[in-house]
Amino acid sequence: MRMMATSRKLALISVLAALSLAIQLTPRPPNVEFTSFFTFMVGVMYGALNGALFGCFVMFVNGFLSPYGFAGLNMPFQMVGMTIAGILGGVYRWHTTGMISSQRFCLEGAILGAFVALVFDLITNVGVGVSYILAGMSPTLALLSAIAYGVFFSIIHVSSNTAVFGVLIIPSTKALNNLMKGEQVWLRNEH
Amino acid sequence: MVEKRTLIFAILAMVVWAASTSSLAGYFYLQNATYNEQLAENQQSLNKMATTHDETITKYNALLSEYSLLYGSYSFPQNTNFTLLTDMLGNSMSNLKGNYSFLLINQKDLNETYYALQDKYETVSQKSNVTREEFGELLNEFYELFNLLAIRELSRLVSETVTLTVSVCINYGNETVQWHNETSIPTGSSLFQLTQKIATINYTYSAWMKPGHIRLTAINDKEEYTEYKISYSEGGAWIWYYWDDNKQEWVSGPVGCDAWMLKDGGLYKWSFEHWSWP
Repeated sequence: MRMMATSRKLALISVLAALSLAIQLTPRPPNVEFTSFFTFMVGVMYGALNGALFGCFVMFVNGFLSPYGFAGLNMPFQMVGMTIAGILGGVYRWHTTGMISSQRFCLEGAILGAFVALVFDLITNVGVGVSYILAGMSPTLALLSAIAYGVFFSIIHVSSNTAVFGVLIIPSTKALNNLMKGEQVWLRNEH
Repeated sequence: MVEKRTLIFAILAMVVWAASTSSLAGYFYLQNATYNEQLAENQQSLNKMATTHDETITKYNALLSEYSLLYGSYSFPQNTNFTLLTDMLGNSMSNLKGNYSFLLINQKDLNETYYALQDKYETVSQKSNVTREEFGELLNEFYELFNLLAIRELSRLVSETVTLTVSVCINYGNETVQWHNETSIPTGSSLFQLTQKIATINYTYSAWMKPGHIRLTAINDKEEYTEYKISYSEGGAWIWYYWDDNKQEWVSGPVGCDAWMLKDGGLYKWSFEHWSWP
């Protein structure tokens, strides 16, 4: 029984990883993405470690295959950013043990989506700042410039992630609940 | 009493809001700083331009006064000694060279015109008795060169802040047409300078041709030629045109290519054309 549960878990994570990558590699508006949502959900379902590994792996592959080109120096920063999304999922699971209303669940999801996007953007902008520093700019100016000039992309990311998390968190949780029924996964919310 | 969980999410939402608005403020601050810096640079450049302009005009006025004196003596000769005036013209030529040394060193066509004038001056000045006609011819050429130098100097001044964008095409006459679109070149450049920039050229200096003394003999190894036959001759030569916006047609170049100043957005053409005479 335990062996079967592990196989199903692996299969689900693989499917989610493939789905994340497929969406990452599909032409889309800049900074509108679903990877952070899937990473967060993996963290929610299977804990912070699995979520972190999932996010890290997806961003690693994306770094080589992205339609925007090889991520280069920014790849480790993207991996760290997405790792944090997975960890936040695990932390959320750990703090959500009681029943909460669907409206509140939705709102919390939206806020977490915005926060995940913000943290990811902050880290990746630091990565851009590091490339400026390597090009000879002073560290303070480089980091401030990278964060300031990335603000419009960040606003798009935060807004889109708020919408994606807010809209998808309930149906995704329901679907995954049905899929993984009987395997002691986290799903004790009232919908 | 607010629930702890609600408080945490409220704080998270505020962090997102605060970070986004702070970044936005940072962006506008940096943009403002950049624009201010650019404005200060532009202002500095304008101030420098105004100062240099004053210096240029002072030089121009001084030389013009010298010319005026010579021209007055030439126009109303009353027992005028043209040999003496030729010596005075020699001084003015030295002043001209001193004041426009930068242009004379860096712009080949002007340099050649100056040395052609100097050769002529030396030939005339060696004569014991210089005639009015000989002096008049020298003075006239001096004035033309002086004006050209003054225009180039002012254009050079503007070129420190403004760059022209022009397009030029080279028609080799064998259905090969080569376009050089949106070529950037400093203000005050002549068609000759533009052609030098975009192609490999050979040229000759023709003293009899004016304004402008440069005639191109080859562009990118396509050379002009002349065949002399019994009772007539024929050949191929490089002719230049400019595009007339009002007439909407190519107009044959009225002066030498070194005297034709480029304008922003201008269209120019070099065409290898067959000719015969008579």
